[in-house]
Amino acid sequence: MKGRSPVARRRGGHRRRGRSAYLLFLLPGLVLSLGVIVAPLLANIWLSFTSWQGVGSPRWIGAQNYTRLFKDENFWASFRHTALIIVAMAIVPTIIGLLIAAMLFDYVAKRFGNRTASAFRSSLFVPQVIPVAVSGIVWGWLLMPDGAFNATLRNIGLGSLAKNWLGDPDWALPSVMGVMFWIQLGYPIVIFMAGLQRINPELYEAAEVDGATWWQRFSRITVYQVRPEIYVVLVTTTIAAIKTFAQVFVLTGNGGPGNATLVPSFFAWRSFFQNADVGYGSAISAIMLVLILVVGSAFVWLQTRAGREEF
Amino acid sequence: MVRSRRSALLALAAGAALVLAACSSSKSGGTGGASPGGSRNYSGKTLTLWHYEAADSAMGIAWNQAIKEFEQKYPGAKVKFEEKSFEQIQKDANMILNSDSAPDIMEYNKGNATAGLLSKLGLLTDITAEVHNYGWDKKLTTGLQTTARYTGGIMGSGNWYGVPNYGEYVMVYYNKDMFARYGLSVPTTFDQFESVLAAFKQKGITPIANGGAEYPAQQIFYELVLSKANRDWVNNYELYNGKVDFHGPELTYGATKFADWVSKGYISKNSANVKAQDMGNAFQQGKNPIMISGSWWYGAFKTEIKNFQWGTFLFPGNALDPGSSGNLWVVPTKSKNKDMAYDFINITMQPDIQDLLGNSGGVPVASDNSKITDPKNKELIDNFDKLTQQDGLAFYPDWPAPTMYDALVSAVQELITQKKSPTQFLDEIAKPYNDYLAQIGK
Repeated sequence: MKGRSPVARRRGGHRRRGRSAYLLFLLPGLVLSLGVIVAPLLANIWLSFTSWQGVGSPRWIGAQNYTRLFKDENFWASFRHTALIIVAMAIVPTIIGLLIAAMLFDYVAKRFGNRTASAFRSSLFVPQVIPVAVSGIVWGWLLMPDGAFNATLRNIGLGSLAKNWLGDPDWALPSVMGVMFWIQLGYPIVIFMAGLQRINPELYEAAEVDGATWWQRFSRITVYQVRPEIYVVLVTTTIAAIKTFAQVFVLTGNGGPGNATLVPSFFAWRSFFQNADVGYGSAISAIMLVLILVVGSAFVWLQTRAGREEF
Repeated sequence: MVRSRRSALLALAAGAALVLAACSSSKSGGTGGASPGGSRNYSGKTLTLWHYEAADSAMGIAWNQAIKEFEQKYPGAKVKFEEKSFEQIQKDANMILNSDSAPDIMEYNKGNATAGLLSKLGLLTDITAEVHNYGWDKKLTTGLQTTARYTGGIMGSGNWYGVPNYGEYVMVYYNKDMFARYGLSVPTTFDQFESVLAAFKQKGITPIANGGAEYPAQQIFYELVLSKANRDWVNNYELYNGKVDFHGPELTYGATKFADWVSKGYISKNSANVKAQDMGNAFQQGKNPIMISGSWWYGAFKTEIKNFQWGTFLFPGNALDPGSSGNLWVVPTKSKNKDMAYDFINITMQPDIQDLLGNSGGVPVASDNSKITDPKNKELIDNFDKLTQQDGLAFYPDWPAPTMYDALVSAVQELITQKKSPTQFLDEIAKPYNDYLAQIGK
């Protein structure tokens, strides 16, 4: 204390005052996030240990909802479906999106100009902009037994492939996955094209001089350089896939036929609201929360590790 | 517009953040000796009324008139009508009824999960005395009373917690033009009905419009069950009066016949993911000549079907059909003007309001049918009266347990897609039923 210079003291005092002033600005956000995120989250976890119909008082039943869940065939089915939806919403769009982005950037933009490339990019992004409620209903019509999709198949002589896409238990989930891929594809393309602009063109020039093929340039330079973008895309789309609700709600209505397209958030919603089994629905949500936290932190860990390697 | 009336189980939506559902212990406030019909003085008082029927619906029209009559009959009294949405009342009922902002009277969903539960929580006034004093019980047949009376929150008998003002039931809608084109007449027995179905199929037409993704398919299945069932069976299934054998003759027949209709092509294998509205559209477009569904379609069909003649008949050969009273007038325990509420209910039960309800396309519970002028409306009401007089309201298949609706939708879908056998189907719907009964200790 004794040796402290007046300057340091003043700076310290300033910092303290500054900090409390900032706190004031943080307050609205803090209150909001407490009210909108933290409180419902804690309430959800608490409710998952109760039996409650939504009216009256919840009754504490310990872990019964969870033991019931682990024995519930629908619960496991819904998570199996999630795994497939992650493929349709995260993995496949990321791979194909990267290829398309590279093609647009390397080939289309150079050959036909930036405008053409942007036009392609924008049109592929359109499904992201259309509300799911709208695109889902339109897809539902297209995929109806006598809808446009089957009519097209019949017209080109592939009538034997026509089926009730969303009503056949074997085809409902693949059809939903197809629609999800269509919705999702534009997002990685936009992110990756932004990422590609960041890459130093000298790297490509050098590689070209050394006689690298397009594929070699793509796999060695592009993929490596846009890794941060790949992480971002994968983590956000994976989380979106785990949370999938609207697409199923609009396309198959009840997670059907049977339970062929049941997903966890729909299952949670159905238990919570439709079946008035609030505790059970909360338990499903709680498990989804854990899953999302695990996925999220795994990606963050991978990313920081990768980042560290670079330096 | 067309709302699925599987209300007993309809979602009890509850906001995730609304953790604390306060427990009410208010006693039901007795009003003492009500003298029905007497002209009390309500001058300067306001009756707060909530309901969620559209203003141009039969109920909306009739009740609007009732409000006018009430204000005329009791000079100086005012009715403050607040329009609420179905979901609003559904979601927040327990919180609102527990607070001082509770209305004096409101429309509420019948059924164990809704009115039953609130009655158990002490949020609704026991109006048994008023029902007898005003004589409403004499106007309502047994089947209509079932959904108004609750014991320990379970419907069927006991004290009155509400009064239904209208009814609903499932019937067969048919396309008269298509029947005429193939020389088919209205079937009066089940066998005749099946030969009509076969005749259409032979012409390459799928006879029955179906919606597998929502309530319609399970109501067709239930019709088939009811063709072999009696009142005791219904009361066992719906009111837990006795044990139900899911592999007994009634349910086995229903499931087998339904599967049979699918394999014969009377019901399309492609209808598993069809929604109720799309089923209605298919009938309206003349794609299918027959639709088995509820009276809630009637009004829309009457105004929207222009290019062909249509009519209805009760499911041939059945003494029992899916159907019930409509939603209830309830008087919250916290109502500040209970006497006014009773007098208002009484007005809605009078013949003129009931006739107006019928003439506007609704199904009144206490109308004078000679006053129903429109022949289409008369057909609807006559069939309902026939059904109630033979004690034929058999409620809905999903009522017994909150999880039954979803279980039925997905299980019937598997019958439609032929993924499951009738036996497997019955096991699948037995589970939620028996689980729930065990849970409530029945």
